[in-house]
Amino acid sequence: MRKHIVLSGSAAIALTAVLAACGGANNASGPGTPTVAPAAKGGTLTILDSETTLTLDPAQSWSLAITSSGLLWRRLTTWKIAPTGAPEVVPDLATSDGTPSDGGRVWTYHLKSGIYFSNGQPITSYDVKYGIERTYAPALSGGLNYQKPLIAGTAGYPGPFSGKQLSSIVTPNSKTIVFHLNKPYGNWPWVVSTTSMAPVPEGKAPAATFGKDPVTSGPYAVQSYTPGTSAVLVRNKYWNSATDPNRSGGPSKIIFQLNQDPTVEAQTLIADGPNAQDAFGADFVPPAQLAQVESNPSAKARLVTSPASPLEYLAVNVQSPKLKNLKVRGALEYAINRQAVVVASGGPVAADPATTLITPGIVGRQPYDLYPAGSSGDPAKAKSLLAQAGVHKLTLTLATQNDPISTSISQAVQQAYSAAGINVQIKALSSNAFSALVTGNSASGYDLALSSWQPDFPSAMDNIEPLFASAMVGNGNYNISRLADPKVDALINRAEGTISGAAAGKIWAQADKAIMADAAVVPLVYNKNSFLRGSNVENFYIGEFPAYPVYTAASLKH
Amino acid sequence: MIAVLLLVSLATFLIFYILPADPARAECGRLCTPSQLRDVSAFMGLNEPVWRQYLDFLAAIFAGRTYGSGQGAIVCSAPCLGYSFQQSRTVLSLIGQTLPVTASIALGAAVLWLLTGTAAGVVSALRRGTATDRAVMTTAIVGVSAPSYLVGLLAILLFGFKLNILPVSGYVSLLQSPGQWAFHLILPWCTLAFISAAIYGRLTRSQMLEALGEDYVRTARAKGLRERRVIVRHALRNVMIPIITMFGLDLGALLGGAVITEKVYSMYGLGALLIGAVQTTDLSTISGVTILAAVFVLVANFVVDLTYKLLDPRV
Repeated sequence: MRKHIVLSGSAAIALTAVLAACGGANNASGPGTPTVAPAAKGGTLTILDSETTLTLDPAQSWSLAITSSGLLWRRLTTWKIAPTGAPEVVPDLATSDGTPSDGGRVWTYHLKSGIYFSNGQPITSYDVKYGIERTYAPALSGGLNYQKPLIAGTAGYPGPFSGKQLSSIVTPNSKTIVFHLNKPYGNWPWVVSTTSMAPVPEGKAPAATFGKDPVTSGPYAVQSYTPGTSAVLVRNKYWNSATDPNRSGGPSKIIFQLNQDPTVEAQTLIADGPNAQDAFGADFVPPAQLAQVESNPSAKARLVTSPASPLEYLAVNVQSPKLKNLKVRGALEYAINRQAVVVASGGPVAADPATTLITPGIVGRQPYDLYPAGSSGDPAKAKSLLAQAGVHKLTLTLATQNDPISTSISQAVQQAYSAAGINVQIKALSSNAFSALVTGNSASGYDLALSSWQPDFPSAMDNIEPLFASAMVGNGNYNISRLADPKVDALINRAEGTISGAAAGKIWAQADKAIMADAAVVPLVYNKNSFLRGSNVENFYIGEFPAYPVYTAASLKH
Repeated sequence: MIAVLLLVSLATFLIFYILPADPARAECGRLCTPSQLRDVSAFMGLNEPVWRQYLDFLAAIFAGRTYGSGQGAIVCSAPCLGYSFQQSRTVLSLIGQTLPVTASIALGAAVLWLLTGTAAGVVSALRRGTATDRAVMTTAIVGVSAPSYLVGLLAILLFGFKLNILPVSGYVSLLQSPGQWAFHLILPWCTLAFISAAIYGRLTRSQMLEALGEDYVRTARAKGLRERRVIVRHALRNVMIPIITMFGLDLGALLGGAVITEKVYSMYGLGALLIGAVQTTDLSTISGVTILAAVFVLVANFVVDLTYKLLDPRV
């Protein structure tokens, strides 16, 4: 599996903990029309996963709403992902997606009745508040935590273990919770769908021990967990399916087999032996096994491939002295050979060319190409732009991670730019060193950086803000183009404060184009992720977003 | 020995402080503000000067360490080899979990390769130039040349998927089921032993040939001793001195983590733990496992020195 620094929801998870990546296309039962069967109840589903750990404290989880954490924890809202159609944010513990007031600065939620933790205790608004306050404790740092900078008055807040509570989260009664934000924020319903917003029994979740034996709220509870070996989830007998239409709760038991070698995992699923029929793989199928699957009809019917989704891109360091001239950056846009990048990524089964930033399937995406140069680039146009800029000899350093696919794509980029007379030196680094270089506070050391990104939740905000807002330059953040364009920042602020998703989408589309006009990034390809399932697993599909299977829907045939 | 361990721990610390990665950043979460980063760094004790952090690390081994306070506290009791913030567990508990896995793989494989390797070497030497010799040495060349990852995958393909007679992944504790423990370890043992036995076989063969030409062997034969006694008591005993030296070092190193074998067979041993820690800049785990690995090499050396005395009365 590729381990790019970024991959929001998906990739970084791989690095840290949970996700068990998966994802397949819109074909729950092989190629053809996507279908969702009524989930049969019972059986033991096995999930083969190369990760060695599962993060079982929601405060620290990197998991997407619909993968491993979705099995264990409910939040105020969650995602509805169907085999086809756009992803939706829908009520989970709450009765609605949230009621905004004060222009989107204040959000109010009311809890459903009949909701319980796995220990039988009713879930109250106090538990939701406590769960969110815990994420501010230094002992529980990590995870997605989009809410942290948004909730008002949290500067210096050390978490609830200090005895202090956040006055910006108000709980007038056990069923109501009101969030006061420090700015209008239209995406708040998506933010409350993330795992770190899960309720935790108030006052009963010490930082050091809760994640070892967690109290859950989803369809499953943790029976046992041995890092590096397995996690066994069993039914949460207090989970009430009538209050939770978005999780099937199909299998009686789910076993995560951890620390799997992705090659062996794929071979196991291709062979579909007795132990593999009730299993699916959480890791991308490696290129060699993907080729093997193509010639194996049984395995091919069990392969699920995502639509084009995570963006592979070349960040152009606009603070590099060599790249301050817009014409030079424009030359980089025209010279790129996307066909070669597709081949280097594993061919059309693994990637589609990309000329825009917002992920397909997300509201706000508009297909366009600001630098039309055909699929193999226009080196002549690039040369002419360089000549206009008065640049005759250009040597650029391309920072990349040293995994095989990144190296292969870097070489494709190097060759494409060479045709336009641009000399590219590849600087291949370990993921840690790469991350430290491109997300550090110094702009020197690289001119271009190869990276990849998938939003943590399906909002164009997460395509744009973390990668291009001026506040995200350095300090370990991912604006690795180091773009600080007041026009882009203004569009980001406007879009964030817009409550209507459709209206915000239009502004995000403008931001997408403004960034491309700055030539601060060369979009390369949208990657496709492929996953395998055993022959007895059904309802194993990937929606338009994210590029991972919906764990909360998977069930076993009887 | 203590001095060597101190040096190893100091070197590990310094190497990771020269590297650019920041463990606090890895723990800070997706959107990390400078003030959050400072808080996380202070909580993890990373805002102290390097020498102070090193002394804190040493002190924790004897006195334990507590990060934070109250319900937000994380306690690492003595002997505290560090706390892994990535895994939310003490390094000692991680080692406690992974060491039995690595030890099971390493010890079983070591016994297997020592026996088969030396036996093959002796047979080969005694039948020098025959078809047996050539067959054994050809197999040995394959073993020496083959990467363990490839051998592991081929073994999985053959015995796991084609013949379907052996499990291809997972570890079962010896205490839980001795039978299943051994059953799951057959492939890892054989994979590791195949590669190492090849090296031992070649070494034994060359040493044996040299010994068989020595005066003391000729003398022993001239005294009318039976050939079996000449080979085992006189020749092999001398051959075993370099073999045991190498064996001790190999076993010590292997106990520090049979990385590739653990990975291929999905067993969470010290090697897998260490690789994961390096990938996530988990300095505490890296330091703890490195020191433990150094202990194994030192102890193995010590045991080898003692064994010399048994094998060679002159020492």
